[in-house]
Amino acid sequence: MAKLLVYSEEAGVARELLAKARQVAGTQGFTEVGVVALGAAAAATAAIWGEWGADVVYTVAEPALDVYNPETYTAALAGVIEQVQPVVVLVGATKRGLEVNGRVAERLGAGAVSWCDDFSYDAASQSVTAKCLVYTGIGNNTYRINVLPALAAVPPGVFHEQAFAGHSAAVIAVPVAIPAARMRVLANSVKADTGRRLQDAPVIVDVGQGMRNREDLAMAEELAGLLNGQVACSRPISSERDWFPEWLGLSGLKLSPDLCITLGVSGSIQHTIGIRESKLIVAVNSDENAGIFAQADYGIHADLYQFVPALIEAIKTRSVTKK
Amino acid sequence: MKIVACIKYSLTLSELKVDPATRELRLATTPQRVGTIDRNVLEAAVVLKPEGSTVHGLTLAPAGAREAFREAIAMGLDDLTIVDSTNWAAGGPMATAAVLAAAIQKMGDVDLVVCGEASDDGVTYQVPPRLAERLGWPLLAYARNIALAGATLTADRDLDIGMQSVACDLPLVLTVTQETNTPRRPTLMDAVKAKKKPVVVWQPEADLGLSAEALQAAGGVTRIAQEGIVIARKEQLFQGDDMKALANQLLDALLAEHVVAE
Ligand SMILES: Cc1cc2nc3c(=O)[nH]c(=O)nc-3n(C[C@H](O)[C@H](O)[C@H](O)COP(=O)(O)OP(=O)(O)OC[C@H]3O[C@@H](n4cnc5c(N)ncnc54)[C@H](O)[C@@H]3O)c2cc1C
Ligand SMILES: Nc1ncnc2c1ncn2[C@@H]1O[C@H](COP(=O)(O)O)[C@@H](O)[C@H]1O
Repeated sequence: MAKLLVYSEEAGVARELLAKARQVAGTQGFTEVGVVALGAAAAATAAIWGEWGADVVYTVAEPALDVYNPETYTAALAGVIEQVQPVVVLVGATKRGLEVNGRVAERLGAGAVSWCDDFSYDAASQSVTAKCLVYTGIGNNTYRINVLPALAAVPPGVFHEQAFAGHSAAVIAVPVAIPAARMRVLANSVKADTGRRLQDAPVIVDVGQGMRNREDLAMAEELAGLLNGQVACSRPISSERDWFPEWLGLSGLKLSPDLCITLGVSGSIQHTIGIRESKLIVAVNSDENAGIFAQADYGIHADLYQFVPALIEAIKTRSVTKK
Repeated sequence: MKIVACIKYSLTLSELKVDPATRELRLATTPQRVGTIDRNVLEAAVVLKPEGSTVHGLTLAPAGAREAFREAIAMGLDDLTIVDSTNWAAGGPMATAAVLAAAIQKMGDVDLVVCGEASDDGVTYQVPPRLAERLGWPLLAYARNIALAGATLTADRDLDIGMQSVACDLPLVLTVTQETNTPRRPTLMDAVKAKKKPVVVWQPEADLGLSAEALQAAGGVTRIAQEGIVIARKEQLFQGDDMKALANQLLDALLAEHVVAE
């Protein structure tokens, strides 16, 4: 009985992890793919996870779990793992997933790795191997984990969600006592979801802190529009300036468009990990020594405020379109 | 009140190179320093410090690296404790958290531990949650707009999806991000004073009663392979003052690549 369990408080990430779990279940000898649904609302709609690849949905419908709190979520996930006894737990490496992952691992004495992008379970040796990004993506380490369950935190966007039409899941309520949290949540402000699907865009115009004002985004939007693309950004543009809810990089989206044009992005590895699967990368930066140039196919050493209007003009003049 | 700032002697990742032929990570020739996130940790600890309180630096690092901590001390530490990793054969976040927890317990009467959300080079995000768990304290992670009133800390937690405002009573483990604050630059005066601040060195086995072998086994994670990621891009640089010419040069290149059409 080798069970694989999936957990993420982000439904989209849970779907990605489930798809991978479903794909490898047969070959790696997992007898069950489970997913954890926490809170009353999640428990009420638990059966939907069947279509995303789950065999079993483990629910904890405690009201204390209706609002995310790392303490109550740690108690719930640790409780489910103790009762289900999986050999592998895939945890979505969002900030919330990571804080829960570390606590659960310590509480259960489980082996844990971060930034996993591949794994395999070997029934004979009762061990798990996990391939993980290290040094923020400069390298890969492969680990053997022999204190099971193995908790593997997987970044968003590494695997891709897949619907398994007709697949259905059993729903099992797990009794877990949730102690009162000591950290009190006073308010949650959630960024508005724009509903954009950057993953499908053939061209991405990737804006960094070299762009000074929000109004200047019009320039990036126009360029993207001409090439049938979308505008995306680095983390500070999202977290500091709040121009977009999502960002690209280690902790954000990972895209693989035909063409990615970065505007005023310095090239820190935490960011470029989100664009390095692009077929072609063009980088515009006013600093000749910017690290991004070594990670781009075509570098434009220029002030983006001068170059981008000229590029837009040239695209229009020559009627260039996205193929 | 007693505050502990956990800081790490880290690899400078911008200098970490991959051997293109062997894909080996050139770790041995990568310089080390107190990390950039650690400056945010120190700043947060020093700013929070109420009147009559003390801030203590804590690190698991080779004792030989003590000079590298001068600037960290100058930022406002009262002292630094180095748990010497020179002969310490246990690695990984589980063992690190065990060492830090034991040191904090030995220091005694600590009210607040400040960490980085992730270290510059480890980036595991595991040490603070594991440390909180070991100490049996709450973890207030990714904190911004931190305020301390009496024994209650309030902050906004910067989660991917937005901010979560929270309140929590001490003792607790706090983590900060690079967006939390702007670290101060110590003055020459601070640097001079820092020279007189005590640096204590503890051995994990002799002083904290920990066994590397036991911790390594309990951690259960062994590295079996390592490989650098080699990025192969054309790296062609276009420059010049004529923007129109540059734009056309780029479009010609993109047409030749067949990613766009005319
Ligand atoms: C644990 C961790 C995780 C992280 N995860 C992510 C992540 O997922 N995604 C992410 O993006 N970041 C992430 N970061 C942050 C990352 O390290 C960088 O700080 C960030 O990506 C830098 O963003 P930037 O390139 O937009 O800005 P900067 O580094 O400030 O670069 C701005 C660039 O614009 C150029 N410039 C300025 N003016 C002009 C002009 N007029 N014309 C042209 N160029 C100009 C400058 O030369 C500079 O190179 C993470 C950091 C940590 C510590
Ligand atoms: N060797 C160490 N010494 C002191 N603190 C550490 C050490 N390793 C990790 N930490 C703390 O834990 C945080 C997160 O590290 P990590 O889990 O490696 O991402 C760091 O920012 C430090 O505050």
